[in-house]
Amino acid sequence: MKPKSQPKRQAKHHADREPLHLAAQSLVICLGPGGVGKTTISAALAVRAAMLGCAVDVMTVDPAPRLLDALGLAADSSEPVEAPLDGIRRSRRGGASNRARLRALRLDPKRTFDSIIARYAMSDAARDAILENRIYRNLSGALAGVADYMAMEKLLELAANPATDLLVLDTPPATEAIDFLDAPRRLLDLLNSRAVNLLGAPAGVFRSQLRVMDIAARAVLAAFDRVTGLNLLSDVQSFVRSFDGMYEGFSARAARAQDKLRAADTAIVIVTTAESSRIAQAREFIGALADAGLRVSAMVVNRVLADLPDASELASARIAPSLKKKLKRNLADYAALKTREEVSLSALRDSLPAGAVLMVAPDLGREPRTIADLAEIGRSIRAV
Amino acid sequence: MKLPRVLFVTGKGGTGKSTVAAAIALALSGRRPTTLADLDGRTSAAAALGATPRDSAAAKVTDSLDVIAMAPRTELEAFIERIVPIRAISRRMLRSRTFGYVTAALPGLEAFLLLERLRIMAGDAALEDRYLVIDAPASGSAVEMLSVSSGVKGLAPAGTLNRLADSIDIFLADPTRFGAIITTTPEHLAIGEALETAATLRDRLGIVTVAVIMNCLPELLFDTAELAAMSALDGHARLAIRRNAAHEQAALAAPRFAAAGLTTVGLPMMFTPAIGRAEIEQLRRALQAGLLD
Repeated sequence: MKPKSQPKRQAKHHADREPLHLAAQSLVICLGPGGVGKTTISAALAVRAAMLGCAVDVMTVDPAPRLLDALGLAADSSEPVEAPLDGIRRSRRGGASNRARLRALRLDPKRTFDSIIARYAMSDAARDAILENRIYRNLSGALAGVADYMAMEKLLELAANPATDLLVLDTPPATEAIDFLDAPRRLLDLLNSRAVNLLGAPAGVFRSQLRVMDIAARAVLAAFDRVTGLNLLSDVQSFVRSFDGMYEGFSARAARAQDKLRAADTAIVIVTTAESSRIAQAREFIGALADAGLRVSAMVVNRVLADLPDASELASARIAPSLKKKLKRNLADYAALKTREEVSLSALRDSLPAGAVLMVAPDLGREPRTIADLAEIGRSIRAV
Repeated sequence: MKLPRVLFVTGKGGTGKSTVAAAIALALSGRRPTTLADLDGRTSAAAALGATPRDSAAAKVTDSLDVIAMAPRTELEAFIERIVPIRAISRRMLRSRTFGYVTAALPGLEAFLLLERLRIMAGDAALEDRYLVIDAPASGSAVEMLSVSSGVKGLAPAGTLNRLADSIDIFLADPTRFGAIITTTPEHLAIGEALETAATLRDRLGIVTVAVIMNCLPELLFDTAELAAMSALDGHARLAIRRNAAHEQAALAAPRFAAAGLTTVGLPMMFTPAIGRAEIEQLRRALQAGLLD
């Protein structure tokens, strides 16, 4: 029995140290609700992978100014910028590799969308027609789904670079996990919508092709336009028309993005914190991803309390009794928070999808300001 | 403190917006009938009070406090039903994918209709002498949502929506009808975001911030001499420093909030294994003293 169980234990030990197998992944996508430190975790995982010897790109969305500094990014770095790795101890296993590098960039949804339009437009006139369209300007500026779709586009572009081993993707905050992953399909649906195409057609011309629903939709939209003063019909139609001929290119890329999400070397990571409302949200994410047939590799619970000190240390400590009392009280206070956290973690553990690891990232007690801070977080993310 | 009819509670994610909104609603309900409206679709503020509102039906917490859930989608449906009074057609319209795409292309429309609903509710609240507390989205999305009417004016230079946009702007800038409450924690990032949110609301939209709530403030236990005396107890010292750091952050923030003309109210950190009704009652008492008296 003994010789048999030995390698197993070793393998498990290895998995605990590197449960995400970062060096074997080509894409890590961090999803999660807003305000949980998704960008920090993405950057920390990227630094960790670089320490393992990988050539890493990390794409962030809306990073805090200090994190921007830590990664050496300017406010408008929409192209990858190399982050200095000097002074970061490489892990022993990765030390031999000279591929290690870390590049960071910020997603600029509007600029990415514009460049895609420029790439696929049939003519300059068609391009300008789209860029000037009121619907497009709203779509590209304000619609959350467009930022998601553009992240997906940029992902394909970066993933195509053979000099990069791993791409870590931070995603826009979402209330629904599927918002991000589903974005390409939604946009394609709009562009390919027969009903939208026919909406603005002159009355009578395409009537025979319209279903009852389309006629109703058209009638109501027309009424809606009149009452609201929006005059949308013609804009929607010209928007969709201006994509004529571009659909194929979009559709092919969206299909490639969907394949990439399901590839064996893609890891989907849900980031959350231990607050009960976030845990509830994270569990909804798990359900939505499972429904979409997507495999979650890990849940990272960010900002968990560090291990508490031993109460017995206080008994023998040579300090004033009044201080001792206060320290006991302080320990009890944080122990209560730790209990709250444990309840959250076990709730998460119960809803963990098969094959996924539950991981925690301890609270540094300060904002990460340097690459070294990110490396510290990266190193301390561990399975629990 | 003179409070507006509608209190819009926002703040950085993770600063306890929902808990604070619930405590404020509970505190106000001791004075006047109050409605707590959940805007995040998760009804987490209501859940903290042990109530679960379904759709737009109100659920009672106490005789003077009820909770409702508001959803952008519901407002859109109500708006369409107003425009298209024939129910069969409006229902069909709403189910139609085409219409979904058009409204998706106008992302502000749903948020806009939600604000219009708040405006109407504020009018009713004034007539009935009630308060309305909103558990709003995190500050980034909240500012986007509150700014939506200028976008709508750009899209619709005339017509119903344009007129509604004007009345929404006036409503938001009226300190007797609408005010923001911004939650923060004693952390650098959250404090910065609170200051920035208050400035944006004031400068761009003329919205008054009634108070900044400094949430999760632990009771101060250790003085400098005590911190020095425990240096040999590594782990314990770290915990003590952590506790004190919250106070240092709060102390650093105080003059910044004061300089911005913002009133701050501190709420204690709840060192308890769970946040339930009892904890919210405790927060309510702290608010009663700071915000209402």
